[in-house]
Amino acid sequence: MPEGRVTFDHVWKRFWRGERHDSLRDLIPSAVRRLLGRRAAPPEGDQEFWALQDVSFEVQPGEALGIIGPNGAGKTTILKLLTRILKPTRGRCEVRGRIGALIEVSAGFHPDLTGRENIYLQGAIMGMRRAEIDKAFDEIVEFSGIPQFIDTPVKRYSSGMNARLGFSIAAHLDPEVLLIDEVLSVGDFTFQQKAFDHLRKLIARHIPVIIVSHQLSKIPELCTRALLLEQGRVVRAGQPAECIAAYVLSQQPPATVPWGEGHIRLISLSVTPLETASGDSVTLMLEGEVRPGYSRDLELVTIRLRATDTGQILFQTSDSFCGAHLPFEGSFVLELALQMNVQPGICLVETLVRNAKRWQLLSEGPRAYIQVTESVAFRGVVQMNPRMRVRTLL
Amino acid sequence: MTAQELLGDAREMWGEQFRYRELLFQMVRRDLLLRYKHTLMGFGWAVSAPVLNALIFTVIFTRVARLDVDVPYPIYAYAGLLPWNLFASAVRFAIPSLTSNYTLVTKVYFPREILPFSAVLVCCVDFLIACSILAAMMIYYHVGVSPAILFLPVLVVVQLVFTAAVALVASMANLFYRDVKYLSELVLTFWMFATSVVYPVGRIKGPLGALLSLNPMTPLIDGYRAVLLHGQLPREPAFAWTTAVSLLMFAGAWYAFHQAEFLFAENA
Repeated sequence: MPEGRVTFDHVWKRFWRGERHDSLRDLIPSAVRRLLGRRAAPPEGDQEFWALQDVSFEVQPGEALGIIGPNGAGKTTILKLLTRILKPTRGRCEVRGRIGALIEVSAGFHPDLTGRENIYLQGAIMGMRRAEIDKAFDEIVEFSGIPQFIDTPVKRYSSGMNARLGFSIAAHLDPEVLLIDEVLSVGDFTFQQKAFDHLRKLIARHIPVIIVSHQLSKIPELCTRALLLEQGRVVRAGQPAECIAAYVLSQQPPATVPWGEGHIRLISLSVTPLETASGDSVTLMLEGEVRPGYSRDLELVTIRLRATDTGQILFQTSDSFCGAHLPFEGSFVLELALQMNVQPGICLVETLVRNAKRWQLLSEGPRAYIQVTESVAFRGVVQMNPRMRVRTLL
Repeated sequence: MTAQELLGDAREMWGEQFRYRELLFQMVRRDLLLRYKHTLMGFGWAVSAPVLNALIFTVIFTRVARLDVDVPYPIYAYAGLLPWNLFASAVRFAIPSLTSNYTLVTKVYFPREILPFSAVLVCCVDFLIACSILAAMMIYYHVGVSPAILFLPVLVVVQLVFTAAVALVASMANLFYRDVKYLSELVLTFWMFATSVVYPVGRIKGPLGALLSLNPMTPLIDGYRAVLLHGQLPREPAFAWTTAVSLLMFAGAWYAFHQAEFLFAENA
């Protein structure tokens, strides 16, 4: 088997913003103007938009690269360049080996054809040969979990069934390079688990893998390296955990926090230590300011910890819940000690000022993050200090 | 660009087609299945257009304005309309093939030539079905079959090459300029009367006649009649011209299509 490899060498990709003319009505006037020697279009600089700027990376066999970043950062553009749907404006993009792309897994489905007919059609679109599809057919149907509907037109499928069948076909390709785009959110919980396990099996085959996902928690689990993109540029490349941390931190609110509607302003937040083992303690120092008119019954300072991979709120408390009292006027430092009995990962610390009665948000304060490392091996959300022993029975 | 690069491109284009041959087959199958599933008459529609047209022109050219041709007019018209219909419907069907498969073109990679190619092949199936009517007419009018009919596959292949060339260009043009769909109707109507489909265009003399003799479709249609109705081979210089034009246009169109392919996803 030839070794797959992915090379992205100083790639730039330009798109044109706005409508391009796609009828002769628009073309003829601009052609006439060009003939007459005048400028045809408005200055091009207004309309161009660089989706990727000088992006380079390489993925070797056995490596799995995770690409993260906000919407519009250029992640999907990278995948489209790799699958040869788009061509780079500048630079070189090369994929050696047969690509298996788990992208838009049901794009080729025709609603009027049955599941069976669509398996053959979609398989062919993905470049499978007849014999390969024949061989994988039963497995595909079984994996999708909908054998009873295989002779039903796809237009009668639910969107979940559609996606399951699509994933099953794509997953049974025999790729030399694997590209994955957000397909882990396919189907119900059980199917997601199944899809995820299948993906691990594919990755274990020692082929190059590229994963684009917003489910950050999946990235460190699957990837050996990561790339953080922002507005078409590589902002960070390296360990998945590092890139995720950089990504989460980059989502900071503006540095100067306005007063908002309330009478408390939160100015800075620090965490010591920034990295802690699961089960250990950290101390948060929140600096702020109170202006005249503040009432303890009306306004609350809330500190909230959120898991960055799932977005789930792990813990939340407020000043008066802990019996702490802010001054009625002037600067303060609020100190909060927390025992991090949570799963390893990155916690986002958010601070906010709220109306105590209506729970309405008055202003947002600074954020920070805590990296929680593994102390006891466990899975789940809460670290429960396990103590286990075995007694042999006579 | 060197000849070597050109050769490399050609090898890549052919290699891709070969690797994706299953997709071409599946696309043709898909369109045929859909037609069969969704229409009452199914393949009956395949024969309706040439038969109906042959009827109309028979009335015009035997009752209104008599036209002398050396075979009974109905079979003359049908033998012309049959191959013309293959060409016209393939082009009509190929034109929206890229734009109507929008999701595929923007989301999955495969050689996009497959879409217009499959449109042409689907129309071939219609052509084969409509041929049965011609066979029936030949029996009815006592037109005998001669060894010249062995040349028929050559005619079909040359016509398919020419049709595919037009289909590639037209489908690509329609992706960039949606006017092409409407424009093509005008062009096809005009083109039919500039070809000896329902009357011998060779009878037009003078500069207009010289211009019309350049039309590569005329030697093809005349060729079908020569082979099927007269038991002769197509006239040589004219048919050679058509063959040369078809091959050159096909090579040029495919190459241009292949070069523009990566723009499709951005413009679809």
